[in-house]
Amino acid sequence: MSVTESPSDTPADDETPDQAAEEAPVEADASEEAVSEDDAKDAAAEPGPHDAFAAEVAAAVGATSWSAEHRNVKVKVPADKWLEALETLRDRGMTFFSFLSAIDWAKEVAVGDPVTDPDALEERIEVLCRVSTVTDNSAVTLSTDLPTDSPSLPTAVGIYGGAEWHERETFEMFGVDFAGHPRLVNLYLPDAFIGNPLRKSYPLLSREVKPWPGEVDVEDMPSTENTEAGDTAGDADDEGDAE
Amino acid sequence: MTINPTLDPTSALHLSEASVSVELETPDMTLNIGPQHPSTHGVLRLVAKVDGERITSVEPVIGYMHRGYEKLSEVRTYAQITALVNRIDWVSGFANEVPFIVAAERLLGVEAPERAQYIRLILTEMARISSHLIFMSSYPLEIGAATPLMHALRERERVLELMESVTGGRFHPNFNRIGGVKPAAGAGSATRKIVQDLPAGFLADTRKAMEEVVDVCDDLNALVTGNEIFQARTVGIGVIPADKGIDFGVSGPNLRASGIDFDLRKHDDYLPYDQFDFDVAVAQNGDCFDRYVVRLEEIIQAARIVIQAIDGIPSGPLQAKVPKIIKIPEGEVYVRAENPKGEMGYYLVSEGGRIPYRVKIRTGSFSNLSVLPWLLEGSLVPDIIAILGSLDFVLGDVDR
Repeated sequence: MSVTESPSDTPADDETPDQAAEEAPVEADASEEAVSEDDAKDAAAEPGPHDAFAAEVAAAVGATSWSAEHRNVKVKVPADKWLEALETLRDRGMTFFSFLSAIDWAKEVAVGDPVTDPDALEERIEVLCRVSTVTDNSAVTLSTDLPTDSPSLPTAVGIYGGAEWHERETFEMFGVDFAGHPRLVNLYLPDAFIGNPLRKSYPLLSREVKPWPGEVDVEDMPSTENTEAGDTAGDADDEGDAE
Repeated sequence: MTINPTLDPTSALHLSEASVSVELETPDMTLNIGPQHPSTHGVLRLVAKVDGERITSVEPVIGYMHRGYEKLSEVRTYAQITALVNRIDWVSGFANEVPFIVAAERLLGVEAPERAQYIRLILTEMARISSHLIFMSSYPLEIGAATPLMHALRERERVLELMESVTGGRFHPNFNRIGGVKPAAGAGSATRKIVQDLPAGFLADTRKAMEEVVDVCDDLNALVTGNEIFQARTVGIGVIPADKGIDFGVSGPNLRASGIDFDLRKHDDYLPYDQFDFDVAVAQNGDCFDRYVVRLEEIIQAARIVIQAIDGIPSGPLQAKVPKIIKIPEGEVYVRAENPKGEMGYYLVSEGGRIPYRVKIRTGSFSNLSVLPWLLEGSLVPDIIAILGSLDFVLGDVDR
């Protein structure tokens, strides 16, 4: 269940098709599908177990949107409210620093699968920071969107000590600049390394050399002279990968 | 147990303190430790600035084992990624797979059958036992006691052999599948349509092995815990206060040694731990000694869980019904698990395809190690080994 812009509203009906698609059985005939859609409608009408908590947190940090799908309470704030939101969360008992990282939402990808609908995608670097309590199972993933060209955020080291290494990792992997960080240098990568490897535009060298899986990687065995036999073997391999 | 106060390193009478206070100039010197050193459990380099025997600042240099699993995961199918994540923390490979598979299952909307969940739980706890037994052998060895290694590694071998009999792999089982577990090795031909299950005698053998593990914990307790030299090296050394640990994201046994009663087996539901009766090992002082004590107790509790799970394991299928070609619906999920090294989690982002859009891997050792510069500041050079060993990190888990 997710809500945009208006945290207090009840989830809208347009969630239903997604829910139904998620819960559709693997092998279902038409009548079973109809039943499951009804079930999904019922499920969508009722708020999820974490919705109330998510809405409350969203209101507290001044979020623009929130979601609580799959028990992942995710709260989105504008970049200028990042530190303020983290402070609020810490003061509300989310003292445990779990991780900080980012997602590169890009229309074009050098490797891997692109997003479902690249045309509708707004290109951005989404920074995620997850904090939790050490008394129960509540946790919050704080998120903010940054421009892909020059992503920059103030450092959270003053609020969570653990952010130091995580920010260095995000800096080298995504090129996010954390202003005010005490030592913003590469963590894993050599100092002279050029590029941000986890950006979607960054190619994976091993895939450049040898596409995979199952594209053109089947070479004839030395003894195989009949090319047709080689092609058949390639098809069989493709199916093997699909499984 | 009483400890000789003169051996307390914080007391002014300490031997090394005396050597610092003699009338000698001890200007700052840079001491390079590693990357190759047995106590670093992988390849870790520490650049320490020392004033005599005392460390003024330390800079850990990591990344020697960075294999880029997050990037590699973006070009692999879910089934292929389980083979990768085995290798993150290689001393408890099985435990790494579980949160990843559970994350994929949550997005897909399937749940593994109960028997598969029990098998996952049994093998996860056995992985915890083997990981902690590595600690029980290596840590006293680093302090200077060689004998416990023989006892601990003997039991660990027994546990690994049992895991191998089920999964086919000692270190890298690659045993979890979305919707359940793989048909067990040694349970019969994979092509015949008979019910594939745990190998014959596995449950009885494991039960016996768990009882022996508890016995060996008693031996280790007798050999190490009360040892005066061991206590002199560990009590009061490398204290992580609870609030500092939480702030840095220190988790697992390292945090529980600081008095925080937080265990994801109790507080989260990635496996059916709520059906078992076990205690969370907690200690109060947060020093090297308490971290050792917590792990020793955790082995005993893990053995307790395994024995209960063996007694209560239900019959039934090993696999839920999943499509032949698994496409994970769009969505984001974070699943965390209480791994031997601490909180391990996967933030999984799917765009509806056969391969994930992004996998963020949160490992316990990374955050546990990030407290090191703060922790080592002001401590003595010989204590580096005691402190490093007590944090029980694996560089594969740090670097990913």
